[in-house]
Amino acid sequence: MRRGLAVGSGNVERRTILKAAGASAAALGLAATTGCGGDGGASADGTVTIRYAWWGAEERTKRINRTIALFEKKYPKIKVETDFQDYVAFWEKFQTQAAGGNPPDVFQNSVAFLRKYDKRGVLLDLKSQVDAGNLSMDNFRAGVEKVGQVDGKQLGIPVGSNTMSLVIDEKVFEKAGVEPAQGWTWDDYFAALEKIRDTQKVAGDTGYFGIMYLYDLRLRQNGKAFFTDDGLGFDEADLTEWWTDAYNRVKAGIVTDPKKVEQIKPKSALASGDGASEFTWDNFTVRYTTEGDSTYGLAPIPTTDGKQTGQYLSSLMLSASARTEHPEEVAQFIDFMVHDPEVGKIMGYDRGILATSEQFDAYQPADAPQKAIAQYEKDVAEAGVLGAITPHPAGADTVEAAFLRIAGDMALGKTKVSDAVKQFFSEAETALAA
Amino acid sequence: MGTAVTTIVNDSPPLVPEKRPASAAGAGRRGRRENAAGYLFMSPWIAGFLLLTAGPMVASLYFAFTDYNLFTSPEWVGFDNFTKMLDDPRWQKSVEVTAKYVVIGTPLKLLLALGVALLLAQSRRGQGFYRAAFYAPSLIGASVSVGFVWRALFSDDAIVDRTQSLFGTDVGGWVGDADWILYCLVALTVWQFGAPMVIFLAGLKQVPRELYEAAAVDGAGPLRRFWNITLPMISPVLFFNVLLETIHSFQIFGSAYVVSNSSCGPADATLVYTCYLYQKGFKEAQMGFASAMAWMLLLAVALVTAVLFWSQKRWVHYEEAAR
Repeated sequence: MRRGLAVGSGNVERRTILKAAGASAAALGLAATTGCGGDGGASADGTVTIRYAWWGAEERTKRINRTIALFEKKYPKIKVETDFQDYVAFWEKFQTQAAGGNPPDVFQNSVAFLRKYDKRGVLLDLKSQVDAGNLSMDNFRAGVEKVGQVDGKQLGIPVGSNTMSLVIDEKVFEKAGVEPAQGWTWDDYFAALEKIRDTQKVAGDTGYFGIMYLYDLRLRQNGKAFFTDDGLGFDEADLTEWWTDAYNRVKAGIVTDPKKVEQIKPKSALASGDGASEFTWDNFTVRYTTEGDSTYGLAPIPTTDGKQTGQYLSSLMLSASARTEHPEEVAQFIDFMVHDPEVGKIMGYDRGILATSEQFDAYQPADAPQKAIAQYEKDVAEAGVLGAITPHPAGADTVEAAFLRIAGDMALGKTKVSDAVKQFFSEAETALAA
Repeated sequence: MGTAVTTIVNDSPPLVPEKRPASAAGAGRRGRRENAAGYLFMSPWIAGFLLLTAGPMVASLYFAFTDYNLFTSPEWVGFDNFTKMLDDPRWQKSVEVTAKYVVIGTPLKLLLALGVALLLAQSRRGQGFYRAAFYAPSLIGASVSVGFVWRALFSDDAIVDRTQSLFGTDVGGWVGDADWILYCLVALTVWQFGAPMVIFLAGLKQVPRELYEAAAVDGAGPLRRFWNITLPMISPVLFFNVLLETIHSFQIFGSAYVVSNSSCGPADATLVYTCYLYQKGFKEAQMGFASAMAWMLLLAVALVTAVLFWSQKRWVHYEEAAR
């Protein structure tokens, strides 16, 4: 009897608890984040603290920390707080901070984000600081400072220049008897990939068709461009052709199996030996030597007409927040970072070929990959193929991500080319309208 | 022996003696004082709830009906976000992926949890060790590092793929394969069956021995005893686990994000609902749309919960109902 009661009352209690637990568990659908605002100004002794954020790997961070130590020694009244993430995480965090009115005072930036954040009032027009004499725009190489200009404003100051390139596994290319040359055509390139597949039993390219910047070059070779000032510079027929060919080439085995590429990430399929060439920014090439065990070289971008590659100089830049309480110190900081020769020596070509002649002359690359990058940009400049960059419209970053993702679905055979093209245009329109 | 344990549990007096107040008036005063103390102790939680849960929820309900890009002030658009959502192929895909994950993963996890709980319910040598060992994955399962480990295990030419190739069934790694990667996530959740297992164990311990003894006297075999005694007796616990695990499954995010290398791919194969919500909100800055998605999820979970509660009349047996 007693036992019966105990079990019974236990059950009543348990049932209530179960019900209550169920109900409260049901309420757990949501969470939202709140931005935090407020940042210290100048402290009592006149010391000013500025926040500096960037994306990149460990190596870049080590170098940047050394440059900051130099800066703080020269400007003892300015303290620099640092923050870094990888590329994707950086922009997610930045967006949240900027929306909360608390972006870092100085941050690394690129051409894809200039219009986006200018439109939202996040970026400081550094022209005023140039006029005030806190920041010099002298001695930038090859007019690269234009990369940071949008609608007459100077929204970013380049720290280095880079250009799209083709990285090749030199050993494989050599064994296959293929030699890339300035002015070679797409047909030459794909014929080379076939030769590599047939003789070396390896796919030649790791997936060119999803790289927005490469497709931009291809369009520029044909008198179009990926972006206009406020939209897309190509139509569905263009993309259908590009992706139909790509799909056939994946099937033909001259492009690395996209499944494979997916699993190797974040390592590159070129470095893992699953491909023999890859289109990317020339300053990224340092990574292949550390990741892989072949020798890697830079080759020219294939052309349509045997002349124009469609290339241009792009750049990583330093931008400042429009909300910074210390625009003067921020300008001094940027000025130091782009002009000081010592900084150039420390940074090397980590963020591209050094943008100002002071830094470019101060740094003498000693290792092969860095020398190759310098030589590559020299060759490209001498070939006279460099054009002017189109500043990307707001939403370009989302468009780039959609382009890559949908191209991947298409290559995996999960989406028909025609559907993939439609999906891309619909997503791009949404992103560019937002 | 197991019987010794149950005897102690059932016959020992309650740990906290129930105090029945002598007079009603005294009870009122003491009750109020006790209430005040209760609220005082709860105040950090209440403050946290209001500031971090209730407040943001109200805000998100408002945003759900607006076009809000984080930078310009929200613009009222009525039900636009919801209609856009229904037309969005990626949203549909995310619903499909999540449903698949819930429908496959939850029953598998509960089956395994119940199975192992049945084995561990009997007294055996080293049962403490086994219980701890099976429970451990639940403790660490939510961490990002386990996601990375999982990705490594199921990659091309990694241990799972190699084992499969011994049997000639390798698919070249699950992680890069749009048809397989979701099962990689299912395996990860099933592996964390420890939490429901512990709850099942507690339930199994409460089933009175005499019922089994009586059934055995009547000649019922193990299967019959399980079906006619164990299952009905633990059905409240089973209900609780089904409810909790289903709701939990709907909220999958971390493992999908990490295993897919933050892409929720390939080919959107791991685009679970919250992953798409996150992409919309934090990558594309469409907070209004993301908020609408969150409320849609809440509604869906509430609906599923309601259906489960409704269905319990048919299969959950509380003991007083039998009395």
